[in-house]
Amino acid sequence: MCGIIGCVGRGDETLETLVHGLESLEYRGYDSAGVALGGHSFGVCKTSGKIEQLRAALAEQSLSGAVGIGHTRWSTHGPPTDENAHPHQDCTGEVAVVHNGIIENYQQLRDDLTAAGHTFESDTDTEVVPHLIEDELARGADPEAAVRAAVSQLEGSYAIAAIVDGTDALFAARNDSPLVIGVGLDPESTGNTDLANGPYFIASDVPAFRKYTPQVIYLEDGEFARLDGSLTVTDTDGQTVEKTVETIEWDPEETGKSGYEHYMLKEINEQPRALRQCLRGRVDELASTVDVESIGDLDPSGIQFVACGTSYHAALYGSQLFEQAGVPSQAYLASEYASSPPPIGDDLVVGITQSGETADTLSALRKAKQRGAETLTVTNTVGSTATRECDHALYIRSGPEIGVAATKTFAGQLTALNLFTLATVEDSQRRSSVIPALRDLPGDMQSVLDNSTAAEVAEEYATAESFFFIGRRYQHPVALEGALKLKEISYEHAEGFAAGELKHGPLALVTDQTPVFALVVGNGPIARKTVGNIKEVQARSAPVVAVTDGQSDAATYADHVLEIPETNPRAAALLTNVQLQLVAYHVANNLGRPIDKPRNLAKSVTVE
Amino acid sequence: MNTRTAVVLAAGKGTRLQPLTQSRPKPMLPAANRPILEHVLDALVDAGIERLVLVVGYRRERVQSYVGPTYRDTPVEYVIQDKQLGSGHALLQAESEVTEPMLVVNGDRLIEPAAIEAVGTAFADSDRSAAMAVIERDEASRYGVVSLDGDEVAELVEKPDTHGHGLINAGIYAFEESIFDEISATTRQSGELALTDTIQRLVGRRDVTGVPIDGLWVDATYPWDLLSVAQEVLSRGQTSEPETKPGVWVDDDVSIHEDATLQSPVVVGPDCEIAAGAVVGPNVALSRNVTIGPNATVERSVLDEDSRVGHGSTVIDSVLGQDTHLGAGTVIPGGPGDVRVGNQVHEEQHLGAVLADRVKVAGGVSFETGALVGAKATIRTGAHVRGQIPIGAEVVR
Repeated sequence: MCGIIGCVGRGDETLETLVHGLESLEYRGYDSAGVALGGHSFGVCKTSGKIEQLRAALAEQSLSGAVGIGHTRWSTHGPPTDENAHPHQDCTGEVAVVHNGIIENYQQLRDDLTAAGHTFESDTDTEVVPHLIEDELARGADPEAAVRAAVSQLEGSYAIAAIVDGTDALFAARNDSPLVIGVGLDPESTGNTDLANGPYFIASDVPAFRKYTPQVIYLEDGEFARLDGSLTVTDTDGQTVEKTVETIEWDPEETGKSGYEHYMLKEINEQPRALRQCLRGRVDELASTVDVESIGDLDPSGIQFVACGTSYHAALYGSQLFEQAGVPSQAYLASEYASSPPPIGDDLVVGITQSGETADTLSALRKAKQRGAETLTVTNTVGSTATRECDHALYIRSGPEIGVAATKTFAGQLTALNLFTLATVEDSQRRSSVIPALRDLPGDMQSVLDNSTAAEVAEEYATAESFFFIGRRYQHPVALEGALKLKEISYEHAEGFAAGELKHGPLALVTDQTPVFALVVGNGPIARKTVGNIKEVQARSAPVVAVTDGQSDAATYADHVLEIPETNPRAAALLTNVQLQLVAYHVANNLGRPIDKPRNLAKSVTVE
Repeated sequence: MNTRTAVVLAAGKGTRLQPLTQSRPKPMLPAANRPILEHVLDALVDAGIERLVLVVGYRRERVQSYVGPTYRDTPVEYVIQDKQLGSGHALLQAESEVTEPMLVVNGDRLIEPAAIEAVGTAFADSDRSAAMAVIERDEASRYGVVSLDGDEVAELVEKPDTHGHGLINAGIYAFEESIFDEISATTRQSGELALTDTIQRLVGRRDVTGVPIDGLWVDATYPWDLLSVAQEVLSRGQTSEPETKPGVWVDDDVSIHEDATLQSPVVVGPDCEIAAGAVVGPNVALSRNVTIGPNATVERSVLDEDSRVGHGSTVIDSVLGQDTHLGAGTVIPGGPGDVRVGNQVHEEQHLGAVLADRVKVAGGVSFETGALVGAKATIRTGAHVRGQIPIGAEVVR
């Protein structure tokens, strides 16, 4: 959940590089931040609050050095205080450590260290690490051996970076937490970098250093890196590992707000472009074929989806696609699946995770793998843990998403799931009806964005008591997602229901203070039943907002209508969802919420 | 070139380009297969500009989402002109972002890097507080007519009554940062601040250098101008797509049936599909994700992104907006004819039809020369379309 940055070989720009990296990682966690610099001098600066507070604190002292580490923290152990902010130090003040993850045996280690005379200043699990390093140094180990020995005593998940006074090197290790190394200085992506001489960067995520280089090396679990004038990666036995350098294709540009007030609004507006990228080279309408990398050879007899949050709603949608194609399929909440996995049989287990680092989803996938299941991940992040641990990967190609509330990546997930079913289990008749609708999606979505009146609806209902969302079949996951989006960023109460379930309980909550958003597509039996549900809530005086393609008479019973173009009902789910994203955004904006960084939430949830 | 910063005016609607500007600003209209604005930004970056400030307003999301936070690694900042109160007012919005001499260009007019460099250099070499490009043009009365005294602008007359050939204001400027004070001190004309009114003040003080330029300088005033703009872009090969045969530019990610014919000059953008028996070109620009059905014929036309041409259709001398769908057997025969825009009649224009964004045309529809169809209009099966069709209208047989 926290964000790590480190660099070596940046000369006078070490501090600026670290602070830039922290700003780029702020979306991962943001209740405290800090940096440590080493080399010719050694110093630490850290504070609770946002990066601006750290900048203010840095202005009061002069830190410089050839090597440095930094951290933004999202609290798991202990409240967000200056003391609990990273980097953490040992008793002598000669070691500084940043860490992401959870050290499960920290209490035992802390007790042992305390008994041996060490003094702790924070409530964090991380602080045991610098003290362990201190012990090893005191026994005469060199800095690299000391860090390596300390790390070997840790159990749990970690990405760690450490510096030691008197040495220009940066040490890094990972186990079950993301850590990536950036190589060379190549802001223009020319490919002409000197991999042997650096500079080098480490980070939890590529945007932290993408401004400086697109060349990256992904560390594997158990690997240890030493970065100074050169880069050495070793395995748990200390044997040198040859690593391959990969080139990131997207630009640092995509991490700026480009004139929008919030990343979320930028990302909502980027969806047509994101879908073009997702579809590019994968569909051929005139030949009626879908070609998605390696997964076309799969022929699953059953599917189990595992996912959390927004990705779980995508899983519900994907599950319906497979069931409509006659393949038994079920969506599971990853955290529940990990605790009590169902019988798997010959099912393909599909983990949907935007970051590829979602701890609950990884845990569920590992459970499935242990039981012999074939696994696939649907993800946005090349080189992520999920892609390395699963047998297959389906990339949604949405580009980086900074807003904590997922928007364009949900659209990318739904699109990729359509490609998945079309490429594996659906026949040519289905392909010839769905592929044109997918190719029309970018234009249809632009149409929704150009013509939406969601801002006016949001303004009218911003102070409502509760918000309810109802839909059937493909619109059911959209109803759930619409409610989640509103909850996440507006802090208002919202619930999504299968429309038919309303009368089995939730209808008791409906009053004239609770707008009901009804998703109605087409004019078939499903649409007409949902229109029936609209009449039910209307009879209880609830304001009704119909999100519809206008084919049914839903608008007749609605106080407001949010329109979408007519298309295939599978594609329509992405369009109604855009209207609900805009409603959530504008409600939150009306209420003055910090939309890109809602309280208590982080972008990628790397703890279980 | 010493000037690092360029301000691009991209907030205007382009009213005379209706019905194409109903959902996007003029800079986002297609110059062949890419928005006009993209050509302008290319020229600025090629001329060595290191920082772009875009003044956006009308439908600004379309500009922001397309250009993003950087363009070709050059940082882009956005300033917002909430109300379109003239070009001077637009530039004034950039005051908070610009504290040094700057170049100023229109985001809706194709220009060359050489012209930008010429203005930048002439500005740096003189002591005057402004420089402006001037170019010789027919139909000079459509623009501001300039007379020079040596390298000094002696007179600037907006849209004079005179007809014919002349030297005109090319709309590429260099200014000291003091221009913001000059604009603020300019009297508003019926509520609007035109940049040329401020320049008049400077001309009166003999403080403006005139910089003659030639080469590419293309303006779209009316919808059918997009056809000649596309021709100009194709003749120069400025498509940003790989050239697979002389005069044929095709993106890597396309699906073109082996029995389809591409006639030079033609450009095919990414994600396009062209079916068997289709004949596309000459002088055709397909933006991204365009579909040409079996046995369709497309000639001297601009088809914007996500548009579809159905089986056996004929599309000649036409502009199709985004997400416009033509059903099977649509016929737009093209050729010269009169076009009516508001109360004005433009005679003998080579215009088949202009279909604005999201027009849906069912099968078997025919169009009379010069038809202008508003955005989101629906044309039902077998209808015959002529003249102006309003936004969102439904045409039945």
